[in-house]
Amino acid sequence: MSSPETIKFMESAIKQANLALDALEVPVGCVIVEDGKVIGSGRNRTTETRNATRHAEMEAIDVLLEQWQKNGLSMSEIAEKFSNCSLYVTCEPCIMCASALSILGILRSYFLLCIKEVFYGCPNDKFGGCGSILSLHLSNTMSLNNGVSPGKGFKCTGGIMAPEAILLLRTFYEQGNPNVVDIFFCCDMHIASNAWTIDWNSELP
Amino acid sequence: MNNDFGTWQIVHIPEKEPHDLHQQPTENVVCSVIDPKNANQIVRRLNQIAPLENHRHVKRIHKKNLEGGKIELSVILCLASEGDNQLDGLPPYIHEMISSYQLSPFITKVCKYAATSKEEWQEQCKFWPTSYHPLTYKIDGITGFSEEDSKSVFKFMQSAIELAKSDGLVVNAAVIVDPSAKQIISNARDQVFAWNTCEVDSDIDSSCIRKPGLFNSRSISTGSAPRESFHLNGSSNQLKQPFTSVSCLYPWQWAEQQSQSQGSYYCHPLRHAAIVAIESSAARDRCLFPSEVNIEERYLEFDNESAPAKKQKTICANVEDYDKLNSHSCTSNQPFERPYLCTGYDIYLVWEPCTMCAMALVHQRIRRIFYAFPNPNAGALGSVHRLQGEKSLNHHYAVFRVLLPEEGQHTLRKCCTEVAETEEINIC
Repeated sequence: MSSPETIKFMESAIKQANLALDALEVPVGCVIVEDGKVIGSGRNRTTETRNATRHAEMEAIDVLLEQWQKNGLSMSEIAEKFSNCSLYVTCEPCIMCASALSILGILRSYFLLCIKEVFYGCPNDKFGGCGSILSLHLSNTMSLNNGVSPGKGFKCTGGIMAPEAILLLRTFYEQGNPNVVDIFFCCDMHIASNAWTIDWNSELP
Repeated sequence: MNNDFGTWQIVHIPEKEPHDLHQQPTENVVCSVIDPKNANQIVRRLNQIAPLENHRHVKRIHKKNLEGGKIELSVILCLASEGDNQLDGLPPYIHEMISSYQLSPFITKVCKYAATSKEEWQEQCKFWPTSYHPLTYKIDGITGFSEEDSKSVFKFMQSAIELAKSDGLVVNAAVIVDPSAKQIISNARDQVFAWNTCEVDSDIDSSCIRKPGLFNSRSISTGSAPRESFHLNGSSNQLKQPFTSVSCLYPWQWAEQQSQSQGSYYCHPLRHAAIVAIESSAARDRCLFPSEVNIEERYLEFDNESAPAKKQKTICANVEDYDKLNSHSCTSNQPFERPYLCTGYDIYLVWEPCTMCAMALVHQRIRRIFYAFPNPNAGALGSVHRLQGEKSLNHHYAVFRVLLPEEGQHTLRKCCTEVAETEEINIC
């Protein structure tokens, strides 16, 4: 069972996802937590920016990076700080975001020190980077040029408030995506609308 | 500029690790020459009683042109059993077919796995015809480039390489191109060590709101400003280790950065060239095709200063063709066709992208990726991962490597030797 604290932070992430839904974005949201406090948050902005890489995680990371540098933190201090943070996101980080999370780490004698822990809601069967398609959090899939893999990635726990996260996505696809063919971020075939399923099939050779 | 690309080559990077071309695993099958008159009947029946379930790439029929315009058809009856005398122990329904059509079965070899490249496929067909259906088989270039297309690929790659070394410090560079118009959509260098968070975004965005698509000279100059700071960084500690600044090669290098950020320039570990080029192409799209909805949204957000993320969206990369943007959006009321994200566009990268960048290019719907140098540390298009072969993804691009000549113009040779040096530098 998830601890009350985990649930509390995932509820904040769901709030972010709701903001995305209100803005007609694919509803995925996240918060970044340090020492039991939410220090950053983000939600999907792919439609507004027409930049399909503007996922919730990327948005939240950008906020923290700017803030910490304004506060005068050095790069290694920032890497240390990230390694003390946890991420709560309503949907499993995609391959891009999972990779970004590992890049935010620091390599210390073949040891990758990156974000402490990731909690996510529903899995991402199409392009999840934390177990569904690739397992970038395990970091044994990373290789250095001398062939040695860094020893540690980040801990990853899925299924936190998954029904709530899926419900949001289902609501989004059922109310109709303003860009019907524009699926930037979808978690699960089952929650997609029929229109989207057809589009997906048509892309298969 | 040297426009002689005589020794340049384009190589398709397939979806799966290729086999040794001449050592592809084969398998024995039982087949027989048949009378063409019976071909339809026999194939239909065989597909029912002995379907080649795990060998969908193998064609059932082999057509051979004989002398005098005659053709000879052979058909695969079934997979051969293990053992010395493989013609014994055929299932009864195959025996039945052999006797009713008076066939004379023999053993031959077919390739066990589907071809991963055109070359493999050609080699396979020397045994027995197979089909070749890469995920991206409809994309131009998989089956070769015309001379004109190759030339255009080489020219864009050359401009990416020029961009990569344009500031003394060699970084990765990305050029997004609309191949149908042979037009550069956006380009960018890595901005890990210099990221301008100020003004630029509001500058271009607000100018879009006032006069859609109209860029003033100020936004152009701020757009090129980060380049100068590269130079500053470069003169400090970056030049000693060539290529450690290529962010996709050394994604963890940023944390080693000693210098404090100054003024409005920040370090951003995730601003790899491809990511910045995508951002820049998205900014171009927003300016070229501003929609009513977007303008309203933007006004709302301008009022809402509590959204700090908004300020992050900078346009540091050079958006190309400002004049064209202006003329299109100002003089013509008929908007030209707006592509969805980067659908149909190509990207040229000097180094094979890391996993983050490669997935970003999936999200943004890039059609083809061309890179010059592999990335043994973190490359996601064949070196460490092979995203172009991940079937579950909802978009697939085709990947090509542009091989540069060993000899050739001085600057490129220098680039090549520096790559060799880079591979010896330990990442830690």
